[in-house]
Amino acid sequence: MSKKKILIIEDDPHVRLGYHVRLKANNYDTFFAADALTSMTEALKHQPDLIILDLGLPAGDGFVVMERLKANTYVATIPIIVVSGRDPSANRQRALRAGAKAFLQKPVDNDELLAAIRQCLDETNGLRQPELIPQA
Amino acid sequence: MKEKALQVLLVEDNAGDVRLLREMFSKEKADSFELTHFLRMSEAVIHLAKGGVDLILLDMGLPDGHGLDTVRRAHAAAPGVPLIVLTGLDDELLAAEAMKEGAQDYLIKGQIENRALPRALRHAIERHRMQTKADLILTHQMQFKDEFLSHVSHELRSPLTAIYQFVTILLDKLAGELNTEQHEYLQIVLTNVKQLQSMIDDLLEVTRVQTGKLVIDLQCTSVYDAIVYAVNTLQGAATAKGINLSSDLEFRLPLVTADPTRLRQILIILIDNAIKFTPANGVVKVESRVFDEDSNLIILEVSDSGCGISPDMTERIFERLFQASDPDLAGRKGLGLGLFICKELVTRQGGQIWAKSAPGEGAVLSLTLPIFSLSNLIAPLLKDEAWPSDSVALMSVEISSPYGWPSKERREEWSRESRTLVQTCLLPDLDILLPKMDSEGTREVFFIVAFANDKGAAILAKRIREQFGHLEHLKHEGLNVSVTYKFLSPTPGDVVAPSKDTAGKMAARIDELIALESLERVVTS
Repeated sequence: MSKKKILIIEDDPHVRLGYHVRLKANNYDTFFAADALTSMTEALKHQPDLIILDLGLPAGDGFVVMERLKANTYVATIPIIVVSGRDPSANRQRALRAGAKAFLQKPVDNDELLAAIRQCLDETNGLRQPELIPQA
Repeated sequence: MKEKALQVLLVEDNAGDVRLLREMFSKEKADSFELTHFLRMSEAVIHLAKGGVDLILLDMGLPDGHGLDTVRRAHAAAPGVPLIVLTGLDDELLAAEAMKEGAQDYLIKGQIENRALPRALRHAIERHRMQTKADLILTHQMQFKDEFLSHVSHELRSPLTAIYQFVTILLDKLAGELNTEQHEYLQIVLTNVKQLQSMIDDLLEVTRVQTGKLVIDLQCTSVYDAIVYAVNTLQGAATAKGINLSSDLEFRLPLVTADPTRLRQILIILIDNAIKFTPANGVVKVESRVFDEDSNLIILEVSDSGCGISPDMTERIFERLFQASDPDLAGRKGLGLGLFICKELVTRQGGQIWAKSAPGEGAVLSLTLPIFSLSNLIAPLLKDEAWPSDSVALMSVEISSPYGWPSKERREEWSRESRTLVQTCLLPDLDILLPKMDSEGTREVFFIVAFANDKGAAILAKRIREQFGHLEHLKHEGLNVSVTYKFLSPTPGDVVAPSKDTAGKMAARIDELIALESLERVVTS
């Protein structure tokens, strides 16, 4: 099976590199965008299997990015995981409503992040088990 | 410069008193006061709504209002206008109460000296102005502090993320092999990163406590599960310090009404503290049982064999920013916010928390939480402990996602949002939304006990359906909402006479219906 592609949208270069090393070690291919503008072009160009999105970005925040992604047929179905330092009580609901699959708070635990990624990818692969039907 | 005349509103029904006060004002300089007079509160309220009044002189015994009620009404009509109450000689106590309600001063009728009146008015206005200014400054300061804390703690997260990422990259040998010493040192960095992170979390939590933004989602919760979770989470930390961490739980612990996430958070703070203050080879133990002093409560205890707390400190440890002064522990200090947060969380869930200890003999931190009880929930709605003459309906609101929920988080979010929505449809003295029981399978179910007959239940169900119908993202996510209800059928014995046990009997019927409902659900799905 070919490697899954993950687009990392994050403006802090160190955090970006940190994701890259961790994800590469877990057999993912990574691509990057550092602001809201390039996010869209990178997403369209690479057609990633998943997007990791920060909320505080230059040139329009993560919510703007999500709105644009969801409005474009070519990238609308790519699952998004929001990883942000912002207060979850104010942003979690908003992010999930905007179409994110999960909201994780920085600093996010490696295992937690990898589990969320696996779960999202499994779901979009159609590998998700249908709900168990009790036998009558 | 010529000063604008002060607009004084006099509300007084006694013609003699009015004459006397007018007399006093007439002795003042012609344009320093302008007096408007009304006999009734209702007229005064209309006048106040127009604005422009600088001060209210209010009699506390009016034809259409009496005592503190008039003060509250005047305040409600013009919250920013200073107020002086006029009172009789025998009513000084009442006048003092009025000042607690926000009156600036009181004047005793028949004892007002000529010169004292204008002075009292000017004082009242000045005092009120200063008070308003001070309140405003305080509000601004609090706001600034909260925003500042919130901002700082968020900004700290990015650099902390990078540190965490690269320390774990090194530790996991993603950048090459490490020798034992390097590994050990990096572990130290990681421990401190985690400590820093928990400090930032605490800071934010305290900001939330103080701004009233702390969300507590009361549900029917298992203490047993929470303790097992917390003990498992901290087992590693205990073992690393050579501490024996164990739990001793009654086999059938009753469920409590609490927020499960908050309960885990409380336990983690308490156990973590116990580990912190217990030397190597010590013991930390978590116990829980029904509280022997009040069978409506469950008690949870975290005990340790650590350094203990001196008796004069057992209350102070719950204060904000309190820190142990023991020099041995100086290196492992937190921000001193943990127990403060615990206390807030426990109190908000209807429980209490306290500490018992003798220095050198370890400490026991105990907390109580209310046992989940349907009958206690229903009891306040019953009149005279009688089975209501109207029927009682058990309504269930069921939200299902036929194609599966997008994520666990999204589902929880939906569940919370739905509860709030359902809550807005209820009447406080007739309906109760039961705490979340189990969420099972593909559905989220909420139960409502409604004191309503056929018609009432139909209206409520319609209202709930309509409310959900307004939600755009409900359709967008393909969720189904169904509202159904059944009536509680009391057995003949139930209705006969009012008794202390009515709530209990009703709870038993509700329990049966809920059990039946979930059985049906399993069969039909």
